[in-house]
Amino acid sequence: MIHFKKITLNYGHVPGALKDINLRLHEGEFTLLLGPTGSGKSTLLRLIYMDILPSQGIVQVGKWTSNNISPRQINLLRRNVGVVFQDFRLIENMSVFDNVALPLVIESYRKSQINKLVHGLLNEVNLSHASHQQASTLSSGEKQRVAIARAMVKDPIVLVADEPTGNLDREASKNVLSLLERINRNGTSVVMATHDYELIKDTKHRRIYMEYGEVLPAGRTVPLSNKRITILTQEE
Amino acid sequence: MKLLFIIKQTFSNLWRERTPVIATILTICIALTILVAIFEISFILFNQLEDLKSNTRVEVYIESDLSNSTIQNIKTEIEDIISVQDVKFISKDMAADIFNREFGEDIMEILGENPLPVTFEIRLYQHFNNPDYLLKFKEKVEEIRGVEEVHYRHALIAKLEALTQAVATAGIIMLVILFIAMHLLIRNTVKLSVYARHQQIQIMKNLGAGTIFIRLPFILEGAIEGLIGGILSSIFLIFAHKFAESTFSLLVFPHYTYKLIALITISAGIAIGFITSAGSVSVFVNKIFSKK
Repeated sequence: MIHFKKITLNYGHVPGALKDINLRLHEGEFTLLLGPTGSGKSTLLRLIYMDILPSQGIVQVGKWTSNNISPRQINLLRRNVGVVFQDFRLIENMSVFDNVALPLVIESYRKSQINKLVHGLLNEVNLSHASHQQASTLSSGEKQRVAIARAMVKDPIVLVADEPTGNLDREASKNVLSLLERINRNGTSVVMATHDYELIKDTKHRRIYMEYGEVLPAGRTVPLSNKRITILTQEE
Repeated sequence: MKLLFIIKQTFSNLWRERTPVIATILTICIALTILVAIFEISFILFNQLEDLKSNTRVEVYIESDLSNSTIQNIKTEIEDIISVQDVKFISKDMAADIFNREFGEDIMEILGENPLPVTFEIRLYQHFNNPDYLLKFKEKVEEIRGVEEVHYRHALIAKLEALTQAVATAGIIMLVILFIAMHLLIRNTVKLSVYARHQQIQIMKNLGAGTIFIRLPFILEGAIEGLIGGILSSIFLIFAHKFAESTFSLLVFPHYTYKLIALITISAGIAIGFITSAGSVSVFVNKIFSKK
């Protein structure tokens, strides 16, 4: 479903943000991208929704490929990829309902459809009661659940979560992880970047470890959350 | 729903950034008011000038004691000049009658004789009624034998023409300055607005929003600022006209003046707001996101 083929990415004249990445993410999979800050996790995720394009190599996401994609097609791709950020990226002066409805409004959905889909999603993330509240008045955990609802409202082919628990306390982090797992069980592929090993240590999801812009090969022992662990890295 | 969202966004942004928005509206209002006022003054002056020119008569005084055939020859010579539309003969008696009509006095009773000369009143074709040609014409006619003096209201025409020219030039300079001021202010408001909302724009881009969806609220904001500026300007101008009409009884504007003022100011305001903000939003959105 998502294929990174020989990806190298340089930021301007600074080489090596990503180095020779070969990776496949499969449909229905829950993939964890692990690694320290600056290892290239977020950069890899930005390639999925083509916020940046690789310097070399090709990214394939569903039917879209990075080497011949137009700006208009990038917009279409983004309408099919749900993205959740560490800093939520909600429009703070808009209501919870309007934030979640935004992807549907962009695609000119009818009011009745928007009402049905948004209320359904808000119910699923337990925020029906806050529907008319302004996003700025919510707690961090609630904001992240709104962001997830917004990312899911279009039933995307993949949900990309970039450090979604980075700004949350332990309890809220667990809630967000279990929400993402529930979404995954319902059939949506999830790719989540995190450096919070404690949060995901008991999960059985596929783990990919990145360091210095590279995906480390299987069997390597790496430091993570003050421990040294051997992770199962699957490159292909 | 999409359009409703864009309209909602537009008005909420106008309210949120009300201080620069009010400054922009006032600038548009002042600029349009001055522009229309200058245009109207130029128009009135130009009409006055045209009116004066079309009523200009060159008076040619003939030496006394000339025979009828000599006077007829002078008339023929004048009529042969290409710029002459018609020549009216005024005899000494006719001139005395005119004097009597205009001043209410009988010149024969006052002086005991009629000193008024035989006169030709000449009307030129409209396009020859300019100070340069009139001077040449005067010199040419004065060379005709038997012509004593040639007279026309050259000083007034020259003054009015110079004044019209000066107002038109000042108007063009003001027009350029005010357009630049309006352009810069709208551009600056859009710039502030784009920078203030760059995160919101980024979020919309991440959600797959297209160019029109992102830019239209900014463009509509500019058009609304122009619309309000235009309406305020037309209200001000209409009141100024009504005040002028009530103060100067001779001043009467045509019945369509108010409608025309409203139409010009409002449509110019909308056009300026729309075009400037469309150009500016494109520049600043590209500027911000090309850095990323």
